[in-house]
Amino acid sequence: MAKENLSVWTSISFWRRSAAWVTGFATILLIWLTFDTMGQISMGTDADLQKGITKRVPAPTVINYHIDYKMSEKRGHEVPVIGKKEPFFGKEWSPKEAAALLHLGKLGSQAKNCMNCHTLLGNGAYYAPDLTKAWLDPMWGATMQGMTGKSTKEEAMAEFLMHPEKYPTHARMMPNLGITAEEAKGLVAFLKHMSSIDTNGFPRGFSKTVDQFKAGGTNAH
Amino acid sequence: MFFDKFTDVVPSFFGTLNQGPLTLTIFLHTIIVLPMFWIYFSEKKKLGK
Repeated sequence: MAKENLSVWTSISFWRRSAAWVTGFATILLIWLTFDTMGQISMGTDADLQKGITKRVPAPTVINYHIDYKMSEKRGHEVPVIGKKEPFFGKEWSPKEAAALLHLGKLGSQAKNCMNCHTLLGNGAYYAPDLTKAWLDPMWGATMQGMTGKSTKEEAMAEFLMHPEKYPTHARMMPNLGITAEEAKGLVAFLKHMSSIDTNGFPRGFSKTVDQFKAGGTNAH
Repeated sequence: MFFDKFTDVVPSFFGTLNQGPLTLTIFLHTIIVLPMFWIYFSEKKKLGK
């Protein structure tokens, strides 16, 4: 008789033990996941780039290389492909110089609050185009180089960043944020490096808009 | 195939489990829930005494 009335569900010690197990396990799991993520997000070195070792986040000296974005059949999305060396603002940047430039660009992006309108690596707003893969946008090629009268992609980007009000590229125009020439260089380096980060295909469908652009459509994301 | 070949850049245990649909979720829930059956029956036994 007594056995039939037994209910584990009303036993405090059952709930206490279950809660202790779930909390304890989740704590260990989260600590493990934190360390597991470190390997994914740690930056590669210049030596990795020279040896062709693929890192999710390449070294700052990646700005000295051509960056392409290609569909990977194996992974089912586009991946950045680091190609041959190409001059960036007319020179090759040493690891120290590249890191300093990238740092300046990062601080610049924070000071000018790019994320207030744009999205960087999934953080920010969608009032203005997603900047995660901005460097790979074909608009910086013929169109913007023609509009700004510059001969390279990086110079066209820097010119646009310094005087965005002169170049109507988007339905919602970017305001002039008083970006200096040096800051603009840093921001372009920051954007080029960001485009070389393997984001598992984020933002989705970027290449689709590139194809539309090449077919004569707009490239507004 | 339920478990796909690992294709991520940096190999990791959780990345491997995450290659298929819901595989990581099912795995984690299983190892959290299974010991709770043991807790349940051991408490039942304790209450019965």
